[in-house]
Amino acid sequence: MQGFETSAPVGRILVGGSGLAAEMTVAALAAHLPPHVAILRVDAGDQRGSDLFYGSVTAPSAYAFNLSVGVDERRLILDSDTSFSWGTRYADWGGRGWMQGFALPFPVIDGVQLHQYLTLVAADGIAPYVAGVQAARRGVFVHPPREGDGQHPLARAEYGYQFDPADYAALFAAAVPAGRVERVAGSVVGVDVAEGVIAGVRLDDGGLVRADLYVDCSGPAALLLSALASDWQGDRRIGITVEDRASADEAPLRTVRVSPEGWQSETPLKGRVRHIRVSTAGAVEATTGRRSRGWVGNCVGIGQAVAMVEPLTPAPMMLLERDIERLLTLIPVRHDMGVEACEYDRRFADDHDHVDLFQRAFFTADGLPDGPYWQAAKARAVPEKLARKLGMFAERGVLVAYDLEPFHPEDWTILHMGMGLRPARHDRLADRADPARVRQFLMKMAGDIEAAVAKLPPARIYRAQLEQYLKRGMV
Amino acid sequence: MTAIAEIERVCIVGGGTAGWMTAAALANRLHGLGVRVQLIESDEIGTVGVGEATLPHIRAFNTTLGIAESDLMRATEATYKLGIEFCDWGRIGDRYIHPFGNYGPTDDGIPFYHQWLRLREQGDTTRLDEYSFPVIAAENNRFRHPGSDVRNVESSFGYAYQFDASLYARFLRRYAEARGVERVEGKVVDVALDGERGHVRDVTLADGRVVQADLFVDCSGFRGLLIEGALQSGYDDWSNWLPCNRAVAVPTDSRGPLGPYTRATARTAGWQWRIPLQHRVGNGHVYCSSFISDDDAQAQLVANLDAPMQAEPRRLRFTTGRRRDFWKRNVVAIGLASGFLEPLESTSIHLIQDGITELLALFPTRHFDPGDIDEYNRRMALHFERVRDFLLLHYVATEREDSEMWRHFRALTLPDSLQAKIDAWLTRGYVVPYQFGLFLPPSWVAVMLGQRLMPKGYDPRVLAQDDATIAARAAALRGAVAQAVQATPDHADYIRRSPAAAGLAA
Repeated sequence: MQGFETSAPVGRILVGGSGLAAEMTVAALAAHLPPHVAILRVDAGDQRGSDLFYGSVTAPSAYAFNLSVGVDERRLILDSDTSFSWGTRYADWGGRGWMQGFALPFPVIDGVQLHQYLTLVAADGIAPYVAGVQAARRGVFVHPPREGDGQHPLARAEYGYQFDPADYAALFAAAVPAGRVERVAGSVVGVDVAEGVIAGVRLDDGGLVRADLYVDCSGPAALLLSALASDWQGDRRIGITVEDRASADEAPLRTVRVSPEGWQSETPLKGRVRHIRVSTAGAVEATTGRRSRGWVGNCVGIGQAVAMVEPLTPAPMMLLERDIERLLTLIPVRHDMGVEACEYDRRFADDHDHVDLFQRAFFTADGLPDGPYWQAAKARAVPEKLARKLGMFAERGVLVAYDLEPFHPEDWTILHMGMGLRPARHDRLADRADPARVRQFLMKMAGDIEAAVAKLPPARIYRAQLEQYLKRGMV
Repeated sequence: MTAIAEIERVCIVGGGTAGWMTAAALANRLHGLGVRVQLIESDEIGTVGVGEATLPHIRAFNTTLGIAESDLMRATEATYKLGIEFCDWGRIGDRYIHPFGNYGPTDDGIPFYHQWLRLREQGDTTRLDEYSFPVIAAENNRFRHPGSDVRNVESSFGYAYQFDASLYARFLRRYAEARGVERVEGKVVDVALDGERGHVRDVTLADGRVVQADLFVDCSGFRGLLIEGALQSGYDDWSNWLPCNRAVAVPTDSRGPLGPYTRATARTAGWQWRIPLQHRVGNGHVYCSSFISDDDAQAQLVANLDAPMQAEPRRLRFTTGRRRDFWKRNVVAIGLASGFLEPLESTSIHLIQDGITELLALFPTRHFDPGDIDEYNRRMALHFERVRDFLLLHYVATEREDSEMWRHFRALTLPDSLQAKIDAWLTRGYVVPYQFGLFLPPSWVAVMLGQRLMPKGYDPRVLAQDDATIAARAAALRGAVAQAVQATPDHADYIRRSPAAAGLAA
């Protein structure tokens, strides 16, 4: 076999930025890369404002992501204000309220999906059969039991986190082993470009830093990447305003309400509730959309440096995690990074566009207000892929899916039904079952969930007890 | 809500593997729903035994039908299959097995073969095969069912069957007829469309009988009696990429040990298959008529048989490609009527299964909503295209230039999706992933490595572990595989001692 080219070339990776994306990226690189690869971090702009656009909720994927980069959930509970989340309740979206709860796949009975039986018996909605949604309604929380035969009423429950980006970022910073990452003093003020790649970054103290791979975590400014390419798809401006109020509530769900100007959310954290308002203007503003290429030459963008996504769902955090995971699987093996860039861009575009389908779907609801924010959000054409998803669900409850979508079929089922979409007909195979028995089955399923959640402690109490327990164990 | 115009009558045109698999699945899944299913076939028309080797997914198909494995195997003279052995593909003299299973575990998102690539860089000479239970078991002609403890290598594989497809069709015919499918003996001589929507209204048989239905499933084979003959769906010809267009097939006696694998040997103008069943061995030569004459192709086959022939060789013709619309109006084409991909990776029966699965998932009403039809066609097109890319890989991942056919492939411009996949592999051992496609990354790894596409790099994350740790883990895994194979019974003995035994000589 001819010579491998792995060992030497990509020996220095420079991460530019100091916000959430930078801290998560640095922690991930430190946890996964071999020691001979030098990881450098330098400030590049200020992401404290734009980080607010990461929102206040993560998807369930955060647990595994965090664990793999060295942030154990125990640390998250002890060292941050992060709280558990069953999902988001859209209180009055187009005159409808539903809880967009997290869930593992719903049961398939005789080869037929649960929601087909719900359609068969003309059930009101799917909420009574989603354990997390019922637990959220009561404000209770426990970790879903994963052991056993999966028959526990909460076995298919899933949870994410409610967080504050600055507080959350500190967890990742603390997870990096001492000495693993070189913190370069100064801040990026310019980029030297030669032959379409970055030759070095200029710092405000006059220094020049060189690396083999540059990771741009500088937020929407994209201080590094924009030196190589300048395109941006999307022109909808949004603004965000954030305010925290003290509260011991700690309810395990976020609530979103519609206003004529946009939407507002309340996200309980430990000891406080984060109030967010999103409209066409705000304390911090940005243009939603994405770059056509996430990786150009020797520079790869992570998070808002490549895409700005409205925090209406956990989408911004899902994409941030995926950006980092995508980079980890494509750490270059030589100076020519064409292969890595090509594959990164393909997956980046897919992930982003698939997430966009989910978020765009919200604005297909009837009865939304008519202000400038809403007009702009609704103006964007419904992509063909989304039209197919909506059409097939409305027609017959079929879930159209594309390769490796970040949002799962159960997310889509809850969204469709939450927004009031009811299949015009059910899967004919569901007719094999006796409707009386189906009703009985559904009643028992809902009853079991109800009985199980009735016994659970309020999320605040559960967390306090968990903290006590962890403190004893981890001292 | 308006009343739903449910399908009340389904007519399957054509028996054979596709027809009877469809009939059996509909009989099972639509049971109790008041759907009348008829299947028209003629004893006069021979069926094409579409490959006698299957993929592990067929077990799910049979399980859903409630068919016991031993009944199926006995009825179809089946043997177990752990993979396919490819001979002479990368170079003449090369051989490798594409197994149904992974090469070692995937830890922290990094498949084990990256560690193996690191070890090789350090001078290690073990084969990746040594980390795969199904490969080593197949090489030793051994078989057992997978274990359930995921920590053991004995659980790390899937299996399929090598069987007589005509017997499988016959077996499913009994199953379907017992569950109410009506078999209509006769030959379709005319197809009538309704004037309004251009749907197939009925078909007329040679004896004058007329069969009506709401939904027609065209399982009439290559000619696509309804989908093409009556509805002119059109055909995307993929001969440019996969030029083989003929085959000659012949059964032989069984000789030597019973391999739990199918063999595909590359030839100068195509490739030859060898599929061991309990009572005989199926053989055939798939070739391209531009590069070899029919007589020479047959002579090449006969010269390369390892046992006496049991019958006269039979010749077949086909054009690789797919129907533009798999489903058009009220006709769904399944099996060879829907398209053809050479059986190099035993995909023929699997594509039938995909067609049936998607039809049931999108089962129409008499309104035939265009959304259902579009979605079915979108899904099936993806299945076909992704299999096509994988088949093409076998012809282009090679150093062979010893005949006109191999030189043709040397000069070929590949589909972008395949080229990108090969580039990413060669650069860093990365397999471009997808979710909706038959062949998962381990299959791509098997063929690319087996055909001398050796990556120049590997995932740098493996270097986070020191080499001694990697080597020790690899040695332990190799040892576990060797030990597990030692404890695994001989394939022929395993069948002989089981209720699956049929024609297997003692």
